[in-house]
Amino acid sequence: MRRRMFLTNLGSDKPSGAPPLPVQGVPHAGSPGPAIFTNALLRTHENKQVRFYDDLIKGKQVLMNLMYATCEGACPLVTSSLVKVHQALKDRMGKDLFMYSLTVKPEVDDPQALKDFAEMHRALLPGWTFLTGDPYDMETIRYRLFAMNHIAIDTNIYGHTSFLLIINDATNRWLHVDPLASMSTVLRKISWADPPKTRQQIMEENRKLQEQIDKERRIFGYRMNA
Amino acid sequence: MPKKEKGKKAKRDSEISGSEITRRTMLKISAAAGAGTVLAPMILTSRKSTVYAQGTVAEPVLCAPTPVPQSPPHTPFVDDLTVPSPAIPQFLSPAPTEAANIGGGEAARDPHQRWAEFTPAVTYQLEARAGTHQFHRDYLPSYIWGFNGQYPAPTVLNAYGVPSIVRFKNSLPASTTSFGTNTTTVHLHNGHTGSESDGFAGDFFSPGLFKDNHYCNAYAGIDDFGGFPKGDPREAQYTMWFHDHMMAETANNNYLGMNGSYLLYDQKSPPWEFATSGSLRLPAYYGITDIPLILSFKRFCATNSTTGRTEMFQVVGAAAPGTDKFTVNGKIQPKLSVRRRKYRFRLINTGVVLNWNFSLHGPDGVQKRMTVIAADGNLLRQPADVSSTSGFPTLEVHVASRMDVIIDFSQFNVGDSVYLKENTQTAQFVSTPTPPDPAPGVPIGTVVMRFDVIGNATIPDTPPIPDTLTELPPIPAAQPGGPFEWGFRFIPGQADGNNFRVSHSSIPDDNASHVATFLPFDPFRVDHAVLRGSTEEWIIRNDTLAGNWLHPVHIHLEEGRILERKVCTVPSATGCAPANRTPVTMPPWEDGNNARRDVYPVPGQHSLKIRLAFRDFHGRYLIHCHNMNHEDAFMMVRWDVVESMAELRKRREQINAERIARGDVPLYRKEDLG
Repeated sequence: MRRRMFLTNLGSDKPSGAPPLPVQGVPHAGSPGPAIFTNALLRTHENKQVRFYDDLIKGKQVLMNLMYATCEGACPLVTSSLVKVHQALKDRMGKDLFMYSLTVKPEVDDPQALKDFAEMHRALLPGWTFLTGDPYDMETIRYRLFAMNHIAIDTNIYGHTSFLLIINDATNRWLHVDPLASMSTVLRKISWADPPKTRQQIMEENRKLQEQIDKERRIFGYRMNA
Repeated sequence: MPKKEKGKKAKRDSEISGSEITRRTMLKISAAAGAGTVLAPMILTSRKSTVYAQGTVAEPVLCAPTPVPQSPPHTPFVDDLTVPSPAIPQFLSPAPTEAANIGGGEAARDPHQRWAEFTPAVTYQLEARAGTHQFHRDYLPSYIWGFNGQYPAPTVLNAYGVPSIVRFKNSLPASTTSFGTNTTTVHLHNGHTGSESDGFAGDFFSPGLFKDNHYCNAYAGIDDFGGFPKGDPREAQYTMWFHDHMMAETANNNYLGMNGSYLLYDQKSPPWEFATSGSLRLPAYYGITDIPLILSFKRFCATNSTTGRTEMFQVVGAAAPGTDKFTVNGKIQPKLSVRRRKYRFRLINTGVVLNWNFSLHGPDGVQKRMTVIAADGNLLRQPADVSSTSGFPTLEVHVASRMDVIIDFSQFNVGDSVYLKENTQTAQFVSTPTPPDPAPGVPIGTVVMRFDVIGNATIPDTPPIPDTLTELPPIPAAQPGGPFEWGFRFIPGQADGNNFRVSHSSIPDDNASHVATFLPFDPFRVDHAVLRGSTEEWIIRNDTLAGNWLHPVHIHLEEGRILERKVCTVPSATGCAPANRTPVTMPPWEDGNNARRDVYPVPGQHSLKIRLAFRDFHGRYLIHCHNMNHEDAFMMVRWDVVESMAELRKRREQINAERIARGDVPLYRKEDLG
């Protein structure tokens, strides 16, 4: 069986590596599942009830951040950056990529408040859901997914970590990025959680990169943005 | 698997041996059921590194991130220290080429610089792939990512004057349950290399591709010094290490094991001890009297008997709990049998986050002497002692730093045990209840490893360490126009990476005048341009309050000389007035008159004045904090070496324009534009 597998591997253009390739929509074998994510009953900005893991994360590639409706510190900057992320990836949004913004002040942020916030930031966009819920659940999720294990940061909701969490439950990739980094960096990091590429895709991308390097060397005399 | 139990046993054996297949393990495996299926791919593996090997390494089942587990207990001093095997030169197919061999599967890059001048004489292949490694006898194997599937990676042993290619092949799994990122770029720390071989953080490549790093193995100063080997021999570096430098994911990939050491020899420090022309006659037999100690901090999940693993627990990234085990060459609290003579130990801190602070203690707990001969791989002008009387009771080894020390075991008696003690970090967890102190004043949890003096020297001892090890090149005069300051600041609510940036020393740059212009690392943004062949003075300062993180700052391409270390007498979180900075005495392994460095430790409220030349190569290089969590949080800046004054002017004007466009002050004054 093993022998056959490696023989077939030779012929296919699958990236090398024996474990079966992940299928989008199916949770990865290593996914911590609801045991870590929780399956808390949350409410969206459209006042719909959802199960956090089963409805929002299971087998999906998602981007998550923390916010609250009256936040004036980093939130406007972060949200405007996320709007740009959405623009750049709008073909995937709501199909194989989802964005969730979770409030850290569920006591005051009802669905309407979240909707108002989204509207104000031009963030009422397909595939982007703002979430509130029972304060205990929201706090649990914040601690489970966004904790820095730094007491001063974790116990202060106003110091809510401004990073964007990137999770693909189908590949079990967990990454995070500072949404205020350059857009190319943010998009690059999101792509690292994409389903694995085929050998052909990798070779093709590599060839294109070399073309770009060569082009820049012709124009500028050095490699600039490639 | 019909014969479940036996099959598992065979699998475990094959995992333990990894790529170091011995006759014995082969026989053991053959004895187990299902030998045919296991053996077939392994024979292939042992001959040449292949992609099939991955099939034999099961993906890890990680333990839950919360609650943070305590590592399983271990028995101290039962495992022998292992020394990574030397990498074996091999012919490469396809053969290395000057421009990237895209069709052959090489990652995109600039053509190699100085290719014709330094035609590779020796070639290696190190393949990044999944493997397993047993950190302690009481543990089951752990899933790792390592070069050739090993942790630590095979050591590359090479000599000045012998240019080499190391082909780094990415055979990491396409999909993993672990926490690494399967794209990689490998930096030789601190190789004097062209930027296309420097492992620039943004030059990562995907599984299935390889990249040839061209190491000229010439001393810095190739342009100015002829001779053989080319370059200025006073610029020799001996102890280097290569490691994953994957943008934003360096900590995870290194924690998983993607690093190894790279040692260079020359006439002064040859791989033998007998007298030869120019030799310092230091302890020199690799693995016998000259031993790399690759140091790391780890935490482990509980042993899982179903999977047959003791997996590493993720301690890096967004949620970063502390570590509770020290490892040396991949072993927890190992022992090493030594004889009554001198040994050279090359301490290499592979992080990923914490610094070491060592002292050596005899069986009675009394502190004993270690002699530092090299800092960051560079010989000190004069060796310096770490002892209770030298004024330097402990030796700090910051992340990515290397310290070569000589320990003379002839000061001990046969039968003595000697302890390497860690003095500042939280003691490691050994077992419950905590075993008694092995020596007075040396708690068991603080012991990194034990040396057992088993007899008199068999290989004759080397002569006393010379009083002068090397002449240092003169500290070059800086170009007019500097200095430039690299500042760390703490801005509440901002990620660490946003708090590091370059400014011009003539322009006041404190928290009051600049708050919002800090930018995280972007491989496409150049923050500083320098001229090839020039020298600049840089000031690296950390304006956070004492007690915040010390930043071990690393600069690629060139070694620097520390002229001055100052501390702020009026601590302030918003920047220190220049008048309040007073000089601090530096240890001999830091002082620019005695040492050359490539890692510059900067605690809060400190500032370092350094001078460095930019020689022989052009392209994209980095300055960054080598606390790998910090560099992953983008505490890193790209700077470029350019070839001509005209280009320098153009690039600097462009940098100024970009800064002005984002509401910042320009970096360069008129006189800096040439």
